Amino acid sequence: MLSSIFEPKSIAVIGASNNDTKWGGRILKNILSDFKGQVFPVNPKEKEVQGVTSYPSVLDIPYEVTMAVIAVPVQLVLNVVEECGKKGVKGLIVVTAGFSETGNAGLELEQKLLSIVKKYGMRMIGPNTLGIVNEPAHLNASVIGRLPSPGPISFITQSGTLGLAIADWTIDMGLGLCKVISTGNKADTDDVDLIEYLDKDPMTGVIAMYAEGIKRGRMFMEAARRTKKPIIAIKTGRSKRGAKAVFSHTGSIAGSDEVYSAAFRQAGILRVDTIDEVFDAALAFSCQPLPKGNNVAILSNGGGASIVATDECERHGINIVDLAEETKEQIKKVIPGFASASNPIDTAGTVSFTIYSEVIKALLKDRNVDALIVIYVHTLMSNAIPPAEAMVEIKRKCPKPVIACWMGGKGTEEGVDILKSGCLPNYSVPERAVKALAALIRHREFLETVKARATGES
Amino acid sequence: MTKILTEHEAKKLLAKYGVPVTEERIAGSADEAYDIAMELGMPVAMKISSPEIPHKSDVGGVVLNVKEDEVKTTYAEIIARIKKAVPGASIEGILVQQMAPPGHEIIVGLKKDAQFGHALMFGLGGIFVEVYKDVTFRVVPIDNSDALSMIAEIKGYPILKGIRGRMPADIDAIARVLVSVSDMAEKENIIELDINPLIVSESGAVAVDARAMVE
Repeated sequence: MLSSIFEPKSIAVIGASNNDTKWGGRILKNILSDFKGQVFPVNPKEKEVQGVTSYPSVLDIPYEVTMAVIAVPVQLVLNVVEECGKKGVKGLIVVTAGFSETGNAGLELEQKLLSIVKKYGMRMIGPNTLGIVNEPAHLNASVIGRLPSPGPISFITQSGTLGLAIADWTIDMGLGLCKVISTGNKADTDDVDLIEYLDKDPMTGVIAMYAEGIKRGRMFMEAARRTKKPIIAIKTGRSKRGAKAVFSHTGSIAGSDEVYSAAFRQAGILRVDTIDEVFDAALAFSCQPLPKGNNVAILSNGGGASIVATDECERHGINIVDLAEETKEQIKKVIPGFASASNPIDTAGTVSFTIYSEVIKALLKDRNVDALIVIYVHTLMSNAIPPAEAMVEIKRKCPKPVIACWMGGKGTEEGVDILKSGCLPNYSVPERAVKALAALIRHREFLETVKARATGES
Repeated sequence: MTKILTEHEAKKLLAKYGVPVTEERIAGSADEAYDIAMELGMPVAMKISSPEIPHKSDVGGVVLNVKEDEVKTTYAEIIARIKKAVPGASIEGILVQQMAPPGHEIIVGLKKDAQFGHALMFGLGGIFVEVYKDVTFRVVPIDNSDALSMIAEIKGYPILKGIRGRMPADIDAIARVLVSVSDMAEKENIIELDINPLIVSESGAVAVDARAMVE
């Protein structure tokens, strides 16, 4: 059961150290700083580690141990894991490196490790992992410096360092994370297990992935198809072509990347090109409903920004919808006579709580409109706060997705903070806002097509 | 163990799964080639048949639009060119086949991917695949509606629909071929397969050239 790893009652840290620049020291420190259950350092040379009673071996711990973090030298791992099995430990996080990632000898060692894990019916993350974080359990069994902000995004990463840097960065981005999982070599727990686990996890709403390679490809596709939760993945290696000396045309064109793209699409996974896009989309999913269709209205106080947004919409097949006459009449009442009441709506530089509030209300009421992008472009003549307040107030009662784009530097910061606190996804440029909306639309399409087929709802 | 199939063998396999292929037979002599050609109807295509020569035209092993009075000399010329270009290659003979009717050149292929299994490729063939790589993929198996959406999503789809008065392609015939090829992928342990080109007219499609590697 993976829950033994993500929601342990007690944790042994084997290879615990007082030195927090070592894996076993840093991870112990992180666990101790937030985790509410029992924690047992294991170190044969110390009586106490970081102020906590230490044991010579996991077998010497006089309490039940649900999960063990293993950060001992590679030659000791098999022995330590055997002891964990005897102790009745249910889950392992094996941080130690030097397994299949190093070649054939390492692969053999990894297979021995896995056979011990299976013999005792344990589950394992790793080896060669940088750990896991489960925010709802206040568990930071990783080398991330701090616990992320709470939220619905769970992040599976094959690269430990990249994943941890991103997790750290999400805190400053104001993104809420539920789980971070550095998969390491995926000897036992792989992407299939994790997707299935996160699908059932009530705290996870969105799954973000950084994958270099997928094990059990077909089962992975099935697992992805079965979950209704959005999966956003960045898969590296796009630039690589297929093998050069090939027998067929198909072989020369069908590099693993093309096949990946097809497989991801067939499985209803949103494949994106950049790390920014993964989290831009994840942010939108984490706080906005899915649009019913692909008809969008754009409101802006500046023509340029709305043209950029309109172009980007076209690129993603998003329709800039014709507004109902009634909607236009309502909008005309609040914007200056020389401004445009047609979609995209341009207030011609004028900004106020009332203008934004009334226009947004009119647009959301329009049955033709499925989603709304609201842009505010900062000038010395305008204030970023009132339109943000207008958005937050209306958004509370609205079942349609609303995406914000507050453009400008320091002058917009207070407005941006208001948007964040109102759980409105905000992006620094219109293209990012549109791409995030496109992800919502695409996921709804996946739900209606591939995912409906997988769950027999079509 | 992997095995390379000759064009003729690959087509027999395709035909087993319902893919229409050109009428053709292997000739072991110039006289036999003439007899086959007369039976199939002129003009014909003549191609070297050897498991060691998958890229037949690169070594002068293909002559198209051969007329009645050219069949015998063409036979001798191809054999002579191959003996010079690929000395020692085992030659089964010359494949004599019907010329395909005019139509759109399509490529259909399979590749076994280490992680996701067989992927099916569809796109415009000929120079389009060489230069523009206007192709799309699906992990198999696929059904008819998947096949239709594959066809509709390439950039060249308007060409197949018959842009500016050009002959439209038989879309349903292409879809049937895609589903057939999807069906054979696992059953025949295909590693790589090309149908290039599949010639598609207003009514029907026919595999004109094919190559396959199986295990």
